[in-house]
Amino acid sequence: MEILKIENLTVEINGNVILDKINLSINKGEIVAIVGPNGGGKTTLLKSCLGFIKPKKGEIAILSKSPKEAIKTGKIGYLPQKQDLNKENFLSALDVVLFGLINKKLSKKEKKEIALNALKQVGMDRFAYYPFSKLSGGQQQRVSIARVIVQKPEIVFFDEPSTGVDVVAQEGFYEFIKKLRDETGLTIVMVSHDIGVIGSFVDKVVGLNKYLHYLGDIRGFLQRDILEKLYGAEVKLLIHSPECVSCENFHLEFRK
Amino acid sequence: MMEMLSIPFVQKALIGGVVLSILLSLLSLFIVVKNWSFISVGISHATFGGLAIGLYLGINPTFTGFLFATFTGLLIGYISKNSNLKEDISIGILFSFSMAIGIIFIMKTSNYTSDLFTFLFGDILTITSLDIKLLICFTVFVGIYLFLFFNKLMFCCFDEEVAYTTGIKTNFYYYSLIVIIAIATVLSVKLVGVILASAMIILPASFASLFFWHYKKILIFGSLTSVVMIITGIFVSYYLDFPPGAFIVSLYSAVFMLGLFIKKVLLSR
Repeated sequence: MEILKIENLTVEINGNVILDKINLSINKGEIVAIVGPNGGGKTTLLKSCLGFIKPKKGEIAILSKSPKEAIKTGKIGYLPQKQDLNKENFLSALDVVLFGLINKKLSKKEKKEIALNALKQVGMDRFAYYPFSKLSGGQQQRVSIARVIVQKPEIVFFDEPSTGVDVVAQEGFYEFIKKLRDETGLTIVMVSHDIGVIGSFVDKVVGLNKYLHYLGDIRGFLQRDILEKLYGAEVKLLIHSPECVSCENFHLEFRK
Repeated sequence: MMEMLSIPFVQKALIGGVVLSILLSLLSLFIVVKNWSFISVGISHATFGGLAIGLYLGINPTFTGFLFATFTGLLIGYISKNSNLKEDISIGILFSFSMAIGIIFIMKTSNYTSDLFTFLFGDILTITSLDIKLLICFTVFVGIYLFLFFNKLMFCCFDEEVAYTTGIKTNFYYYSLIVIIAIATVLSVKLVGVILASAMIILPASFASLFFWHYKKILIFGSLTSVVMIITGIFVSYYLDFPPGAFIVSLYSAVFMLGLFIKKVLLSR
């Protein structure tokens, strides 16, 4: 079932064409990574899907609705880059997760129970009453994922989810979202730089640099000609393997 | 003491001061979380232009002050959201413009010296029964508004984009908060004047956040501190014949600096 459809999308910002003639289709339950060089339009594509940027041409349909209408359903999840968050927010981790339930008609007690369970799922229950702003980047990310979980969206957009998080914690994160998808059928679209890490976890890769250069699985993407066309230079990749023995403790920590 | 409390204008000043301190403390949390201190400075200075025009035209200055402050607040908010122009530049230009307009109209009004000083520094001892009624009505309205929408407002302050994607009408909350701050600023001019009004809206949450990190405690502690500061300020300024507005802000600022010293030097050891 098609959950996101982009047809002939062109986006201009301050007279510069950032995205041109993009056609893309994402099915329910897929994990899709949007990759490409800096300034290639990855975040612009994501923000267009969320309705923050109005396209010059073309159509975007999420859950068969325009972005503006789709957002009103509350079935769209979004996790921005962590540096976008307001630093001095006077909130606990639990408060942040409760935001995900803001439109649900539940009692305070029920909401709290759901939020605490979600924090437990991401291994952050012991930080429920800790200041959100004092948590590390990786911990804040986990709390934000808990916020998305309680919202029960049908599709989630992640913008550079692993910014400021080390490579092993990144892998723990991708493992977690893959498990989440397997359990809930959630569709996940993420902007990412971590080509070396995402390989084992995504179903589809979107290679973006103003135009759509590639759409397919990771094996097809990791071809020299595709990478050179996308990045405009010779690319050397360091692939991080989930089998890495020395990283095992970090994996366990995220699963707690 | 009892003699002072039996004087009607002192009673009014105390009632008005306590209500206003609660109102401004409630809004102070959002000012600090949103990092809007400079916006509140812009709005309070913009009020001056409106007050002066009202006085010159013979219209109720509170009404024109409200129009000017609301318009400026909305304009600053719009520019911040939709323009590449830096927020502090737009605020700097707009409040200088409003102050300049205010000075022109004040100079063209007879008896401008006393009016100028009242607008700039306030005089809580001249607060009227009508001012108190307006203040109570507006504080009750803000209390109801916050009771109904507090979580949504906090979500918008935490991360406006994420709040938007969950279906919250972020623009409504953004602009309604600006209008509420503008009205509260106009109402506080009588107490502390245009120049000092922004301090009274920034200080409560800033001071409370020195000792507490959670918003609930900041709201409670900030409100209590403000009430104590205003009551103390009115009493002391009455006995020592100080200008109340200036003394309240001086006292509050000194207490803030003392708090900062205690936090940074004594508690960090």
